[in-house]
Amino acid sequence: MSVPALVVEELYKEFKVKKKGGLFRRPAADEEKVFIAVNAVSFQVAPGEVFGLLGPNGAGKTTTIKMISTLLRPTRGRVLVHGIDPEKEPTRVLSQIGTVLAGERCVYWKLTGRENLEYFGTLYGLYGQELKERVSYLLERFQLAKRGDELVERYSTGMRQRVSLARALLANPKLLILDEPTAGLDPQSARNLREIILELKEEGHTVLLTTHYMEEADFLSDRVAIIDHGKIIALDTPENLKRGIRQTRVVHLEVQEWQDGVGNNLRAAGLISNYVPAYDGAARAWRVVLHLGGETTVGAVLAAYLEMGNGILNFSVEEPSLEDVFIQLTGKSLRE
Amino acid sequence: MHQSVALRPSLLRSILRVAWRDIKILVRYPTWVISLCVWPVMFPLGYLFTYRALAGPQNEGLSSFVQLAGTSNYLAYVVSGTILWMWVNVMLWTFGGSLRNEQLRGTLESNWLAPVDKTFLLIGAALADAAQMMLFMCIAWVEFYLIYGVWWLGSPWHLGLVILASVPSVYGLGFVFAALVLWAKQIGVAVNLVRGTMLIFCGITYPIAVMPGWMVRVAEVIPLTHAIRATRAVMAGDGLGEIAADLWYLLLSGALLIAAGLLALRFIQQRIRCSGTLGHH
Repeated sequence: MSVPALVVEELYKEFKVKKKGGLFRRPAADEEKVFIAVNAVSFQVAPGEVFGLLGPNGAGKTTTIKMISTLLRPTRGRVLVHGIDPEKEPTRVLSQIGTVLAGERCVYWKLTGRENLEYFGTLYGLYGQELKERVSYLLERFQLAKRGDELVERYSTGMRQRVSLARALLANPKLLILDEPTAGLDPQSARNLREIILELKEEGHTVLLTTHYMEEADFLSDRVAIIDHGKIIALDTPENLKRGIRQTRVVHLEVQEWQDGVGNNLRAAGLISNYVPAYDGAARAWRVVLHLGGETTVGAVLAAYLEMGNGILNFSVEEPSLEDVFIQLTGKSLRE
Repeated sequence: MHQSVALRPSLLRSILRVAWRDIKILVRYPTWVISLCVWPVMFPLGYLFTYRALAGPQNEGLSSFVQLAGTSNYLAYVVSGTILWMWVNVMLWTFGGSLRNEQLRGTLESNWLAPVDKTFLLIGAALADAAQMMLFMCIAWVEFYLIYGVWWLGSPWHLGLVILASVPSVYGLGFVFAALVLWAKQIGVAVNLVRGTMLIFCGITYPIAVMPGWMVRVAEVIPLTHAIRATRAVMAGDGLGEIAADLWYLLLSGALLIAAGLLALRFIQQRIRCSGTLGHH
């Protein structure tokens, strides 16, 4: 039986948060609070699998991957990367993983794309002809070859993200860790990057990615762990997670005005189990997701809504998505 | 099927690559050349005019200075002190803040993810800074000769030896400083405190004998005092025998400071791994 690419067992990370003291006053010990960023997180990733950590900002995704990639020491719990404990052999773990942290600033803007890759390649043990060939291959592969000798500061955000991904692939690591890889990218660049991630999976890389885009987790991941407030609240394939709430019909409303009292009344009447409103500034309208409860029909909900004196601009009935799974589990949207 | 190409990274190659990176980035900011040429000429001017005013037209006011400093060549005396102090000053801002600059730039974590001992970052940055500062000093000496007519009686090789012997103590101080700044996340206050202390204690522009006894004792502990004293001795024509004690002190204190700096880096590394502040601005 093959060794899992990654094992995470009962991982905890607590941070001590001190209140700021005055100029001449140190905060007292009882003014110190403990913030639990990651709370008993456990999962395993099989070799060749794409595993998604899906959750809103501040859920504990980045803290988890920083502990896996040796940047953070866990308060408790254990991580094994291909059977190696990062606490005992951090350098060995680092030589087997390629990590892309969130943000586009993890490469040098005053170096060219090629120079960046040559620099980081040396830090991963490549040199001479092998380094040159590997850098040229990666520039070609990520469609950066034509502009490989330009300073990174002249690149677009998408190109910088591709340089970061190329950097992580310099040593062709078995495990790739991608923290919000498409955050801040335009839709076309995000789509390109997602296709690259799928190609990497085809080549046999194991990928652990964090995202707060449910479409991304759904499209890329073989399995998804939904994380909120530092805890994994669901873990399965995207299909199974959605199947779990398939009996829940999801209605998307577009309305001019929305008041939470309306949603609460619908819930009190047993017509819906959850609602999540979000104001769309561009459309100057509210988009409200309603999860219908029990045997309620769409017609009954809409009729009740209209009877309360409200108008509807538009509505659609949709298949449950991972976003709906998250709403069902937490009562809030991933974007909150 | 997946085939990893990971090799065991060489610490030496990593160090040289960091130096290469820093020099590449430096030359892409062309304005540094201006400061390289202008700053050494400008900085000692205020002190030189002060000496000229105090000395009088025939240097008649310098008798006390000659007695304490052992030379009437105040030009050479001031520029030798100021150039070494400028070295430490620039080093604190550049090399001393190198890890902090990486942190602010956002590249510290991606360097930390490399499977190589993290000292490569500091040692490589020190190499690049030392190369830059050697160039700075060469230009400064040429300018002092051409503009102020400063020349030395002693061997230029001995002067080079003093500078080389000073490298470990100057960069040892930088190692400690760089590690602590990474933790404190504040460079300005620390630079002002250290360079201010050195400006007062190390006899940059005056003989340390004019200071109270306790200040002289403190000055004798600071390596820069020995570097300046040895430089002035070489400029006055002294041989290796006269500067040997200062050279040994510089080498010994340099070794201790480098060891302290590397220990400080290890300690800070552990702390920031627990606090999660490596990538914090």
